[in-house]
Amino acid sequence: MTCRDLIDVLDDYLDGRLERDEVAALERHLAECEACRAYLATYRKTRSLGARAGRVEMPDEMKTRLRRFLRERVG
Amino acid sequence: MPHGVIDSPAMTSDEQLLLSRAAAGDAGALEGLMGRYSARVYRLAYGITRNQADAEEIVQDVFLQLVLKGAGFEGRSAVGSWIYRVTTNVALNKRRGKRREVETPLDDCLPTFKADGHREGPRALLVADWSQRPDAELLSGEARQILDEAIDRLPEHYRAVLILRDVEELSNEEVADIVGDSVSAVKTRLHRARMALRELLTRRLGAEAR
Repeated sequence: MTCRDLIDVLDDYLDGRLERDEVAALERHLAECEACRAYLATYRKTRSLGARAGRVEMPDEMKTRLRRFLRERVG
Repeated sequence: MPHGVIDSPAMTSDEQLLLSRAAAGDAGALEGLMGRYSARVYRLAYGITRNQADAEEIVQDVFLQLVLKGAGFEGRSAVGSWIYRVTTNVALNKRRGKRREVETPLDDCLPTFKADGHREGPRALLVADWSQRPDAELLSGEARQILDEAIDRLPEHYRAVLILRDVEELSNEEVADIVGDSVSAVKTRLHRARMALRELLTRRLGAEAR
């Protein structure tokens, strides 16, 4: 497995969708490749950070305005 | 693994009832739909547009459509999928024609490889690992600004699948149904979005990690 092969299947690896032999090959590559270890760690962190950053709250006053908007439009 | 939060049959029939009642003018049913979906619609709308005022207009537009068109909902997909689909379409339409200069061509942010399949680039950047920094630190202050700028630079249809998959925790199949694309196209877009985001973050945060 090369770095390119590893990066191509990273999501499947993190989502547990790889076959056992594919996981073994990927982990053998990881053991030997510092750059891919860093890539995996930062890719995994990016996924979780993006998810947390996206969990924005709808402001309460916006909910109030939504109710008012719908009352005015549809009664 | 995402758990397919919009596909439960019990939830689907319950929500179809709410939708048809809301479309018939039942204020309580509309309130029920808002309680379940307004926060999700807002998250998706904001995630795609990255603008609070635009997101508010989209939420209003989506709920108006639910009331006006809900009676015609045929139930071929879950109500949740339909609401996400309407939201995605309205948000992407709103973004169409807006300035895009902050967006980065993704190819500039994807890893490049030598002929033998190993990555190329400055070694210090290749091995930079900022993943041990605590989330609380990365989600506040200057690091948060770096993260927000990186997200802003993704094209909006990439942000749409990121939000649906990573924030709303839908499956690849559900996301594909919502955005009207194949599962493999969704997986490719997600991977490219995550790689680009990782690259943009590493260029800024990696310098501090070395």
